[in-house]
Amino acid sequence: MRRRQSRDTASETAAGNEDGFEGLRVRDLTIVYGTEAGELAAVRGVDLDLPAGTITGLVGESGSGKSTLALAMLNAVPSPGRITAGSVTMSGVGDITRLRGRALRQVRGGVLGYVFQASQNSLNPLKRVGAQLLDLARSHGVAQPRLILGEAAKLCERMGLDATRVLSSYQHELSGGMRQRVGIVFALVLNAKVLILDEPTTALDMLSQAAVLEVVREIHAERRLATVIITHDIAVVAEMADRMVVTYAGRVVESGTAGDVLRYAAHPYTKALLRSIPRISGDISAAEPLPGRPPDLASIPTVGCVFRERCPLAMPICSDVDPATVSVGPGHTTACHLAAGPLAVPEQSEEVAG
Amino acid sequence: MVSASPPIAEPQSTGRRADARKRRLIGVGRRLGARIVAALVMIWAVATLTFFLVHALPGNPVQVQYETLLSHGVPPAQALKETRIIYGFVSHEPVVNQYGSYLWQLLHLNLGQSISYSGVSVSHLVLAAAPWTVILVLSGLVVSFLLGVLAGAVAAVRRTSKLGDLLSISGSLLHGIPQFVMAVLLAYVFTTLLPVFPFGAPYDITVIPGWNLAYIGSLVSHAVLPVFAYALSSYGGWMLSMKSSVVSVLGDDFVLAAELRGLKPLTQLRYVARNALLPLFTVFALSIGFMFGGSIFIEDVFDYPGLGHLLLSSISARDYPLMSGTFLLITVAVILSNLLADLLYTFIDPRVRGQAS
Repeated sequence: MRRRQSRDTASETAAGNEDGFEGLRVRDLTIVYGTEAGELAAVRGVDLDLPAGTITGLVGESGSGKSTLALAMLNAVPSPGRITAGSVTMSGVGDITRLRGRALRQVRGGVLGYVFQASQNSLNPLKRVGAQLLDLARSHGVAQPRLILGEAAKLCERMGLDATRVLSSYQHELSGGMRQRVGIVFALVLNAKVLILDEPTTALDMLSQAAVLEVVREIHAERRLATVIITHDIAVVAEMADRMVVTYAGRVVESGTAGDVLRYAAHPYTKALLRSIPRISGDISAAEPLPGRPPDLASIPTVGCVFRERCPLAMPICSDVDPATVSVGPGHTTACHLAAGPLAVPEQSEEVAG
Repeated sequence: MVSASPPIAEPQSTGRRADARKRRLIGVGRRLGARIVAALVMIWAVATLTFFLVHALPGNPVQVQYETLLSHGVPPAQALKETRIIYGFVSHEPVVNQYGSYLWQLLHLNLGQSISYSGVSVSHLVLAAAPWTVILVLSGLVVSFLLGVLAGAVAAVRRTSKLGDLLSISGSLLHGIPQFVMAVLLAYVFTTLLPVFPFGAPYDITVIPGWNLAYIGSLVSHAVLPVFAYALSSYGGWMLSMKSSVVSVLGDDFVLAAELRGLKPLTQLRYVARNALLPLFTVFALSIGFMFGGSIFIEDVFDYPGLGHLLLSSISARDYPLMSGTFLLITVAVILSNLLADLLYTFIDPRVRGQAS
């Protein structure tokens, strides 16, 4: 957190946050699902900063709440889930969780671009790509909707797609890699400031993966986007991300620069996750699978550390007290009682500017 | 399909695209041709079946007709000629010849002559009755489609609420009621218990047919009950299939994507509606057959002079040529509407269009 504050410069845009932060900021976000067994928290007390010009990798196992978190950034948590606390603040827009109706609609697609994974069909199967782009333009009150086609064509060409062909195609006429790139075109064609990629490489072959990631990196730098990549593929994060955030059972257990987290992982879960990756060179049996199973919504402990049941280093305190988020290096934090030992400095509370 | 390529622009290929379009067009043409041929084959099969059915009827009606004429003192040559006019064939000839002359007459749209309405050709009777049935069936189809699809969509969107449950129950309930029961029920409730609507015939005999309000008003008020008998009996099918279709489309990724891209609610609704309506075309095809079949019961109950009524009265009068002619026309109508639904599907769903090549 201190790292961010030192980076903060005088606000360039009048539309920036009060403290001049540019990008998307999640504070103390809690999302619960109302079930027959009561209200279960899928995401609890999450703090997250997605500054402009930074690629953040959001890592976690299936069911760690990372997709729910991503949908919450667009205030689109699917029913029966709902945001019960916290805020998602976009510079120049305000708290997205408070937006409704037309204002919310304009932010989705206009400010926040969401890209579905390639295996999902994010286009209307009965309409040509171009016609759907026109729908997008009309929905966002673009003065001359047809101009969006030129913009989209430029983006297509940037991504190595034959624009004329793609715009006159139906979804079923495009390959997985092409669909993924078309999804990115839809997310960026209205000049979104935040790019959210949900599992961008799942269901793509190695060559398409590399191509898609390369394009994302280039456009990210060109437009100074705040980009977040949601993935369970550590390799993608290592390759792409400036910052890395590790989630487990709906909590952020560790965050820091990608280099720091990968090299000096502080949380036992992060360490275990890293150990479970097979290396290309070296013994495949050196990869250790994580023992146990990730908890489902109903079995997440409400008190104490959520990882304690699978943690090799669990202590008695872990079942009674929620671990606080502590700093273990510049801009590197973790939520673990072990890290909160005498050597660690408790994280300072948020300074309120102004 | 070109698989994902490294980010190098593919060369412009206008020629190849024109080629692809041509191939697709040929594909559509071929598909269309195949469907039409299949429909013709089906009509031929039904005609053949009708021929042999009349043949197999107990008492050999053709022979009976011939002998009746003889017993009335008609000379044999004359009797033979008249029988041939009525049935298109006579039973003295070998079956192959009979069959051949029957088909030959059919090709000239000659369905023979009616026995009960003596001297009137079957084609004339059938063509006079057909418009009434077509009007009833089409109105019933439109009303049930609109009601069923709307109710189905609402039931899908509100499927967790009381309203959704209520609509679903209405669908299953009405789906289970047979057409003749529905017709009798409507007739009893609305013409006897609460005499709101007139009963019987397509219009009041006191009004003069023509382009005047009294006539049209009379037509409409007489058609309301039979149309609703059709509509309510097929409403359940529409409603239940629309509900499940909307539920499955709502779960599709592109619907969430449309929401996350901030599309207007109306645009989102159009996306869902168009995709959900697609599978209903199959129901449409089945439903037309069901309704034409139902005309036998419904027109009988409301004493409506359509094809069903004609078929039923020809059966009780043992008017075999009229029977087989009506039967043939109903079957042809069903086959043609199935063909239409199939072709419409090809135009509406681009994925089916693509498969043709």
